[in-house]
Amino acid sequence: MERAEQIKESVRDSEEQVFETASGIPIEELYGPAHNDEEQWGEAVGEPGDYPFTRGPYRNMYRGRIWTRRFQVGFGSPQESNERIKFLHKHGANGFVITIDLPTSYGFDSDDPIAEGEVGVTGLALSTLEDMRTLYDGFGPDSVSYALSIRPPVSSVSLAMLACVAEEKGIPLSSVIGTQQNDPFYQMSGGPLQTTARFFPIQGTLRLCIDNIEFMTNNMPRLNWMVTNGYNLRETGVNAIEDGAFTLGHAFDIFRMAKARGLDINRFPKRASFFLSCSIDFFEEIAKFRAMRRLYARTMKEDFGATDPACQRMRFSVQSAGNTLTTQQPEVNIARAGIEAMAAVFGGAQSIHLCSYDEGHGLPTEESSRIALRTQQVIAYESGVTKTVDPLGGSWYVERLTDKIESEINNKLLEIEDHGGMARAVQDGWLEEQINAARYRNQRDLDSGRKPLVGVNRYTIPEEEERQIKVHKIRADEWGEKRSQYLSAFRKNRDNQKWSDAMAHIENAWQAGENMVPVIMNALKNNATMGEIHEAMRNAQNWSFK
Amino acid sequence: MTDKNRILLAKMGLDCHDTGVITVAQQLREGGFEVIYLGLHNSADQVAKAALEEDVDLIGVSFLSGQHITQVRKLFDSLLAWKLEIPVVCGGVIPDDDAGELLRMGVREVIRPGTLTEDLLVRVRRALG
Repeated sequence: MERAEQIKESVRDSEEQVFETASGIPIEELYGPAHNDEEQWGEAVGEPGDYPFTRGPYRNMYRGRIWTRRFQVGFGSPQESNERIKFLHKHGANGFVITIDLPTSYGFDSDDPIAEGEVGVTGLALSTLEDMRTLYDGFGPDSVSYALSIRPPVSSVSLAMLACVAEEKGIPLSSVIGTQQNDPFYQMSGGPLQTTARFFPIQGTLRLCIDNIEFMTNNMPRLNWMVTNGYNLRETGVNAIEDGAFTLGHAFDIFRMAKARGLDINRFPKRASFFLSCSIDFFEEIAKFRAMRRLYARTMKEDFGATDPACQRMRFSVQSAGNTLTTQQPEVNIARAGIEAMAAVFGGAQSIHLCSYDEGHGLPTEESSRIALRTQQVIAYESGVTKTVDPLGGSWYVERLTDKIESEINNKLLEIEDHGGMARAVQDGWLEEQINAARYRNQRDLDSGRKPLVGVNRYTIPEEEERQIKVHKIRADEWGEKRSQYLSAFRKNRDNQKWSDAMAHIENAWQAGENMVPVIMNALKNNATMGEIHEAMRNAQNWSFK
Repeated sequence: MTDKNRILLAKMGLDCHDTGVITVAQQLREGGFEVIYLGLHNSADQVAKAALEEDVDLIGVSFLSGQHITQVRKLFDSLLAWKLEIPVVCGGVIPDDDAGELLRMGVREVIRPGTLTEDLLVRVRRALG
């Protein structure tokens, strides 16, 4: 580039800079000490591992243990996924995020007509107890940790499957590890209203969510459970403040429901955890994580009356923000994911997953997943940022931004409360309106250039210069065909009397208000399928989506 | 009735990533089109039926979870069965190879993430012919 052009470009850049965070908080030219820092920050910032956990949930943080780098697995059949897990396990991995396909996500069997073209595409298909048994082939649920990307009502069935597999292997339920994702509203990407209410009634979904919490609290105390999938919520386009408020507001709603069920506030939140997004605005995201931990601690202590520190301590896993990635000049996404991973580390995440650079093109390949993992390893083992706890604590800017974001999230939480809580906000469309407003705002800011996006609204290259990207090839038709054959043989070979008794029991138990997890375990043992169990639960509520 | 071009937008199958399609609906409305958005989880027949009933000039479908080839094939079958000749535009996360295949199948434009409004409107007008 010519020198004159370079100068012109840098002048233009400085003219166009907007001195505010991505959520619109003004940023001063310089931050320095104020006379009341000590008194303001003493208690509010505190020590890592102590209330209010601003500086981190644990005393020694990454000096004790580097965050978990989970591997994402799941495509095609349980057999193929299990083989992949065995391969990765042999190479040192012991934590896996298991993604499932869309039919399973909605509680449909692989051979349901609605599943055509979708079987095994976004993850593995899971229709029978035998499928879960296959997924755990060679491993005990007390030694290898799976986190299934799944939501109620389906997660009640997967939880029951997990409990059955542990029983079969002679492992006490109290020793089972892993993460049970249990967010009734935000697990599916996109606006929550349609995704949540389309195939199962919302009230039934909420009841199963609490059934799961009750069952885990009483029987599986080592199993983590995810309260809010703040990641997918953030991916709809809302900003960091809305992200914090919607995520926490939803969690507090669920906790109130669990309390109303009679569960102990000093027991059931112990294994509660969150799944959060880390976006590209570096300091704002760090401040968001710190502010959320503090708000969670304060609310759990002061509003819910939790006295056990384990019930005041917010823990979360992080994924880098898919919606900050570009389809154009995709290699640049490696830098974006690196920045986001650093912010997650400075924010004190317990587990991190980075998006692959090719996600704007399709499903990641082995190569792109490996680069994402290597990026984390460079940060963990080369950069040195892990070697002291909360290195940004006490930074004038970071602490002020943390205070500001906390108060903004708190204001938004009050607005949600005025509205009657998040469950209400989902159902009456208020949340959808907020999400859509954010989506339009983001697009306007991209069009006007107010929000710079390298490769999209500046520093673009002609389309013909873009590198062709190879993505993971899907074999939906082949997977669907195989699964259909498997399920039809599975149904032929079962004891019909036992099966129909178990199915009838689902309807009766639902209407009697029993905890459904043991009831579903019974149905699975009698070879009822995922789809059949869901249909029985819909029937019990006199509800149909057809 | 106005003389604005009418566009039907829909998500098909079980994919529920709707940020793109909802944003595009708004961009098109502001760009002078009349937009009917059918929402999530539509079958090919539902899209074809709505296209007929709403008498639209263009159909736009959006995908993020890898079902685009299967679903677009079904959509063209349905349009043929209903004897509808309406141009189809496809948006979303679509791999390079598949974008080529969609165009060969008869899709007028494949519009991917990072398309600014000005470009979107040019391409939609071009698809309308």
